[in-house]
Amino acid sequence: MILLQNTRIASENSPVLVEGDVLIVEGVIQQIGPGLAVPEGARVIDARGRILMPAMFDAHVHFRAPGFENKETITTGSEAAINGGVTGVVMMPNTRPAIDSSAVVSTVLESAKRKSRIPVYTSGCVTKDREGKELAEIDGMRLLGVTMLTDDGDTTGDPAVLLRAMQYATEFGMFFASHCEVPELAGPRAINEGVMSYRLGIKGSPACAEEIIIDRDIRLARAAGAHVHIQHVSSKMGMETIKWWKSRGDVKVTAEVAPHHLLFTEEHIGDYDTNYKMNPPLRTQADCDALLEGLKEGVFDLIATDHAPHTPFEKAQDFISAPNGITGLETALVSLYHFFVRPEKFGWDLVVKRYSAEPRRLMGLPVPTIEVGQPAECLLFDTEAETTFTKEFMKSKSQNTPFINQTLQGRVDVVILGTEILLEREATVAVG
Amino acid sequence: MARKDLLDIASLQREEIELLLDQSTAFKQLLTSSGKKVPVLEGKSVLMLFYEPSTRTHSSFEVAAKRLSAEVTNFNVAHSSITKGESVRETIETLQAMRTDYIIVRHGRSGLPGMIARLTKASVINAGDGAHEHPTQALLDAFTIKEKFADPRGKRVLIIGDILHSRVARSTSTLLQKLGVEVAYLGPGSLVPKYGPATIRRFTNYDEAMAWGPDFVYLLRVQMERQDVQFFPSLREYHRIYGITNTRLEDIRQRGLYIMHPGPVNRGVELCDAVMDYERSLINNQAENGIAVRMAVLNWLTPGGDLPKREPAYASRSGAAPALVMP
Ligand SMILES: [Zn+2]
Repeated sequence: MILLQNTRIASENSPVLVEGDVLIVEGVIQQIGPGLAVPEGARVIDARGRILMPAMFDAHVHFRAPGFENKETITTGSEAAINGGVTGVVMMPNTRPAIDSSAVVSTVLESAKRKSRIPVYTSGCVTKDREGKELAEIDGMRLLGVTMLTDDGDTTGDPAVLLRAMQYATEFGMFFASHCEVPELAGPRAINEGVMSYRLGIKGSPACAEEIIIDRDIRLARAAGAHVHIQHVSSKMGMETIKWWKSRGDVKVTAEVAPHHLLFTEEHIGDYDTNYKMNPPLRTQADCDALLEGLKEGVFDLIATDHAPHTPFEKAQDFISAPNGITGLETALVSLYHFFVRPEKFGWDLVVKRYSAEPRRLMGLPVPTIEVGQPAECLLFDTEAETTFTKEFMKSKSQNTPFINQTLQGRVDVVILGTEILLEREATVAVG
Repeated sequence: MARKDLLDIASLQREEIELLLDQSTAFKQLLTSSGKKVPVLEGKSVLMLFYEPSTRTHSSFEVAAKRLSAEVTNFNVAHSSITKGESVRETIETLQAMRTDYIIVRHGRSGLPGMIARLTKASVINAGDGAHEHPTQALLDAFTIKEKFADPRGKRVLIIGDILHSRVARSTSTLLQKLGVEVAYLGPGSLVPKYGPATIRRFTNYDEAMAWGPDFVYLLRVQMERQDVQFFPSLREYHRIYGITNTRLEDIRQRGLYIMHPGPVNRGVELCDAVMDYERSLINNQAENGIAVRMAVLNWLTPGGDLPKREPAYASRSGAAPALVMP
């Protein structure tokens, strides 16, 4: 039994926070109301000043296993998730070997069961070894629960191959997540083509490299009657392309945006800072502004971090040599609060809807809510406390984030999943 | 203000540039009058780290360092532009033991000299990094222009060629603009990015560019090795559209324009043979001035001190991402 006293409850349906106590018995929310009696033997958490909300779900993470365990493992990745208030993730399949067969899927899921305290789901490749040539073992993966197919890290280059995959797999209720980039236009450098690529003398990737594939893949999905999910959109025109297709209503499209694309621009790269090197690249303030509008309007169904760990050694190279990607699981919720909720750019309801509810709906999973009779899957967020993202604070094996050693307002204090308290930042629990 | 490194022109103050150009004048006088060594860097060591072959820049730096009585070491690196940041780091960590005072580095990767500067207390001079910067080239160009016009403010320089890949274009245009010189670019649309600085005019037509009224025509070297990706159909066509042909040279002579080129020249591509005998060609002056300018740079930098730290761009904005006001 866990009793949360004097909390304020956030939900996806209302910007208003509801005050009250919440009693959790055997992992299920049993009572909500003001001044609940303290049952004997209950663990009491005084949640005064803190906000209770459903725990987050990240539909786009790289846990690097198998093959790159020096960057991240399922254990460190899932602990990082908990540290950030996330209780479920979907891994991307660009591992070594790539997650493209029932054999690899079952290995990964087996090890996730043993090594993670939260549910870890995996997507599967569209094509064998992500090479864009032969179809991966699609139905074999589906039988193990895979629903999302993606060659993330790259676009499935040959549209004929992707179309065939869509025609085939839609039959089994699977959907496609698209990393959108024409490689011939983008080059390998992960910087926006523009003022900064000129100034730094690095070949840039124009926004049209992304926009072409967004449009292409939605058209393919329409032709195949498939559901396509557009990953980590970075450009204004990309957002507008999705918006236009959604307004037509004759193709199933969902889309995600990452916090870093809302927060940072190419200017932040400054003096070749590799913590700002990611793919798709950071673009301009106009793009950031448009993405924020897209998020508020619902063009983006969900927020996902594209958590992409790399070792300090790899990121300490020159900009061109360094790998793409930044970690996001531990900083996402706090940064969303600090930069958007606190200055009232949007409310907690949007955070809960876009980072907790919608990603689970995308994956066909039950959506936790703070309601009587629902399983407990929630977190307490302290809006008055601060978080400093030191190396010691981070649970991820890698700390390649612009927020390293920075302090932001807000803190994830407690994370509860069923009967377990997965995270308890300070000893706030007493026994009643 | 003492500086440890010279990595780019962009971060130089106008006063620093003026100082360097004045000192270059002094070193040039010294060179031409005596041709002797000066003991300015006696007991100091200079390490040459050239990952890209360049006889011209390499020997210019070497002569400059020796004239200042420094001890020059050439680190033998594979002449490969694909040598990655990882192995360069290892090299630098090994070289720390050598206690070198100056490192002169050229590399095909943009930003790599800056990375080295953060790893070592030695003064690092960028001798060209990718398509980023080539600061001493810019200084010698400005010096050469100032030999013709002591006050170059309001003069016009037309830079012709592959702007997209040219560190010379970036550094020289930045420096000249800091001195009040007007700069314009001319080249094929595929090689003159439209998102370059708004302060630089952009032409794709030769006659329109000449009508702008330049005082100097600065030809960039066409990078033959880049022809695996086609930015223009053929060298012949390039010469016809953007090169200084015999006819165009006659026009330039009549207008009294100066011609510059960082070298080495591709004859028959950027320019016809006759340009080499043109009385207002400054190509040889540029090469000669390179030594004096590089002496001034070596003399100016101060090795040692704290390693330059990179302030996260995020932090420098007082904790807020751009346009997001901190509550
Ligand atoms: Zn991706």
